[in-house]
Amino acid sequence: MANRYLEIFCREAEEHLASLQSGLLVLEKNPARTDLLHELLRNAHTLKGSARMVGLADISAITHTMEEQLKGMERGERTVDAQAIDLLLRGADAVALITSALMRGTTPELDVERFVAEYERGELGQHLSAEPKEAQPETLADTVRADVKTLDHLVNLVGELIINKKRLEAKLERLKEIGYALPDPHAAELASFRRDLEEDVLYLDYLIQELHGKAMGLRMLPLRTISDGLERLVRDLAQQLGREVQFQIVGQAIEMDRVLLEGLKPILIHLLTNALSHGIEAPEVRTAAGKQRRGTVLLSARHQGNSVLVEVRDDGRGMNPTSIKAAAVARGVLDQREADAISDEEALYLTFRPGFSTAEIVTDISGRGVGMDVVKKNIERVKGSVTLSSEPGSFTQVTLQLPLTLSVLDALIVACSGETFAIPTTYLQEIVKVRAIEIDTMGSGEVIKVRGATTPLYSLSGMLGLPEHRTAGDAPLSAVVLKHCDQRIACIVEAHLGYSEVVVKGLGKQFRNVRFLFGATILGDGNPALILNVPDLFESGRGVQRAPLSAEEMQAAQRRLKVLVVDDSITTRTMEQSILASQGYAVTTAVSGEDALEKSTAEQFDLVISDVEMPGINGFELTRALRESEQYRETPVIIVSSLSRDEDKRQALQSGAQAYIVKGAFDQGLLLETVQMLIG
Amino acid sequence: MGDDNSYDIRTILTQMREEYWQALAEEESEAKEMLECLVFTLGGKRYAFETHYASEVIRVPKLVRVPAVQSLIRGIFNLRGEITAAIDIRPMLGLPQPEIGATGRILVVRGENFATGILAEAAHGVQGLSFENFEPIAAGSGIKAQFLRGHFNVEDGKVILIDMETLLADPELLAGEA
Repeated sequence: MANRYLEIFCREAEEHLASLQSGLLVLEKNPARTDLLHELLRNAHTLKGSARMVGLADISAITHTMEEQLKGMERGERTVDAQAIDLLLRGADAVALITSALMRGTTPELDVERFVAEYERGELGQHLSAEPKEAQPETLADTVRADVKTLDHLVNLVGELIINKKRLEAKLERLKEIGYALPDPHAAELASFRRDLEEDVLYLDYLIQELHGKAMGLRMLPLRTISDGLERLVRDLAQQLGREVQFQIVGQAIEMDRVLLEGLKPILIHLLTNALSHGIEAPEVRTAAGKQRRGTVLLSARHQGNSVLVEVRDDGRGMNPTSIKAAAVARGVLDQREADAISDEEALYLTFRPGFSTAEIVTDISGRGVGMDVVKKNIERVKGSVTLSSEPGSFTQVTLQLPLTLSVLDALIVACSGETFAIPTTYLQEIVKVRAIEIDTMGSGEVIKVRGATTPLYSLSGMLGLPEHRTAGDAPLSAVVLKHCDQRIACIVEAHLGYSEVVVKGLGKQFRNVRFLFGATILGDGNPALILNVPDLFESGRGVQRAPLSAEEMQAAQRRLKVLVVDDSITTRTMEQSILASQGYAVTTAVSGEDALEKSTAEQFDLVISDVEMPGINGFELTRALRESEQYRETPVIIVSSLSRDEDKRQALQSGAQAYIVKGAFDQGLLLETVQMLIG
Repeated sequence: MGDDNSYDIRTILTQMREEYWQALAEEESEAKEMLECLVFTLGGKRYAFETHYASEVIRVPKLVRVPAVQSLIRGIFNLRGEITAAIDIRPMLGLPQPEIGATGRILVVRGENFATGILAEAAHGVQGLSFENFEPIAAGSGIKAQFLRGHFNVEDGKVILIDMETLLADPELLAGEA
C-alpha cells in the first residue's frame, strides 16, 4: 500500500473523527437531537469505506460497529443514553489512536485485536489511554526491535555480497585461463595460488549463505499473523450467507517472507470468500444431497522443497467444467470451437480469464463481485503458481505454490536483442531448439509442437518491442517454453546463458507502472539484467501482437477517455483518480452528487464512477438523474460502495448502473477491467 | 595503539569540527546572494540546477535498454547496487540531442520519490552563480519553458537555470506513463 494513500486516509479520518466527537458530545447533552444521527452515521460510514479502500481492517471493523449502533439509534431500536454514547466515543478514540500511530509509523498503544473483538460485543472493556503493554522480561532481554527498512537494507546488503562473490568466482575462472597460457614454473605457482584462493572463496560462499539464511529469517513471519483475521472473515461470511461452516487451519507456524505474506492475505481472502459464496451449499441443500449440514473449509500450509504450498479446500458443490465452459462461451471469453477443444481440467482455469468474472459482476445481480482473475493477478505479483482441482458435488481445492522469499530466485539467463534477461524458472517448462520446417502457421500466428501440444511461437524481442535479431536461414533457433496457469507459449531468444540464482532488486518508483518487468538483478560483470514478468508476456501473446506498439504510439492512437469520479471521501477519490490516470484516462472528481450533476452538464464524460452514500443526492439518485438526461442516457455508470448486500446491488442496477464493485473487495485491477470493458 | 605516540583523536576531531564551522560561517557571510549550482551542457548550451538536488556525477556506464517504455528513458544502470534510470531530458526542454560522447556524464539527482540519472553531454562542476546577474524567465515563453526558471548572465555567455523540482515531478519521467 502506497504511503500516500495512508496519509490521505489519516488526514481524512481526522476530519471525520473530529466531527464524530463533537456531534456525539452534543448528542450526549441533548439525547433528543436525533437529527444529528444521520450526519454521524455518514461520518462512520465514510470512514469505514475509506479504511477498506486502504486495507485497514481494524478501523473498518470498529467503524462498522459504530455504524451499526448509530443505525440502531436512528431506527429507535437503541436508546441514546450516556452508555451508548460512551461506547461510540471509545470507538472514535480507538480509531484516532490507530491513525495517529500509523502517521508516526509506530504501533498503537492498544491491543487492537482485542479491542475490536470486545467492541463488537459492545463491551467497553479495555481502557484506551496509556496501557503500557507488559513486556515479558525474559523476551525483552533477548530481542531488539528492528526497523523494517533496516531489515530490508540488511537483506539488500547480503544480496550485494552474493553478487560480489559471483564476481570473485568469475575472476577465478579467468585466472584458470591465464594459468593455462603461462610457461610451466609460473603456471604451477599460479595454479597453487588459485587453489588457495578458491578455498577462500568457497569459505566465503559458505559464510554468505549462512548470513543470507539468517538475514532472511529476520523477515520471516508465521502464517498465524494473518490467519486470525481470516477466521473472523469466514465466521462473518457464513453468518451473512446463512451457511454452516467449520473452518480449520493447518500449518499456522509455517513461516514466509513478510512481503509475501502481505501479498498472500488478499489472495486467501478471495479464495475463502469464493469457498463460502460459491462452494459451500446452504445447510438444507447439503442435507438433501446426503452431506453433513455443516461444510468444511480447510486452509493448510506446508513446506515443499524450496517453496510453500498453501491450499484452500472446501467440501462444497465443486466446479462443473461443463457449466464453466458454457458460461465462458456465453460471456465471449472463448468461442464454442475453442471450448470443445479444451479438457475438463483446463476448463477450470477459464475462471481465471478476466472476462469471466468481470462479466459476472456486471450481469449477475447476486454475483459477489469477487473474481478469480483478481486471485490470479495477486498470485502473479508474488511469483506463485496455482493449481485447481475439483469434483462436482464434492470438493474444490485451490493449491498455491509460493516461493519462500522474493528477494532471491532461480532464473534462466537469456540473450535477446543484444540485452540479457533473466526468466524466473517457476515459469519455465523447457528449452527447445526449433527448426524453420517445424514452424507452422495457424491463424495469424506461428505455432510449434512441443511434446505433441500445439504451442504458439513468438519472438521475445517482438513481444518486448525490441529490435529483432532473428536471422533467416536453416540454423535451429533457441526457444524457451513458458507456462502460466494452463497456458504454454514458446519464445525465441538469441541464446541461453545458463541458470543462476539471482538477487532480485526492485526497479524503484520510477518504474512502478512498467510492463514486462519484475525487477532487475546485477550480473557477475557488475551490469544489470532485467528480470522478466512472465505473466505480462502471456497477456501480450493473447493479443497476437508480433511487434507491439510503443507506449507513445499506443497513447497517441487512443483518445483520452474522460471519467468522472464521485465520492465524498478524499481517500477513495484520490485512489480511484490515480488508478485511472495511470492508465491514461482523463479524470475529473466530484465531491458530491450535486457537484457531479453540475460537472456532468458542463462537460461530456465517457463514464461515471460513483459512491452510494454521500451527503445530499446519493449515488442511486445520481445515477437515476443521469439516466433521465438526454446527454447521459447511454453513459455507463459504475457504483463503488462499501454496501455489500445483494439488495444494494439490485438497487444500483435498477437505478441504471452498469456495474457494482464492493469496496471491501476493491482491487484496482477489477476497477480497471470493469472500466476497460465498459468504455475500452 | 595505546602508546604515548598515538595522537589524540578527540582533539583532532574537535579541531576539525571547529574549522568546519568557521569555514561555513565565512562562506555564509560573503556568499549570501550566490546560488550554488551544478553546471553542465545539454543540447550544446550550458544549464544548471542547485547542488542540493545532485547526489553525484558519474561517467556513463553500460546502459541496459528497458522494453516498453518511452524513449526518454534511455536505460538503467547499476549505481552501487541500486538500479537507476538514465534519462534524456533534452526533448523535454526542446533541445537537439547530439550523441553523448566521451565527455558525457550522468548527473544523479534525488527527487522526492526517486533518484534518477540525467544524461548530459558534459559536466562542468559546481559554480556559485550570483543572483545579481539573474534574469527570470519572461512570461509566455512557450511550453518548454515550464521547466526553466531563468538564466544567469556570466562572463562568457549565459547559464540557464532548470526548475529541477518541477522537472522531477513531471509524470513524463515515470516509466510507462508517458
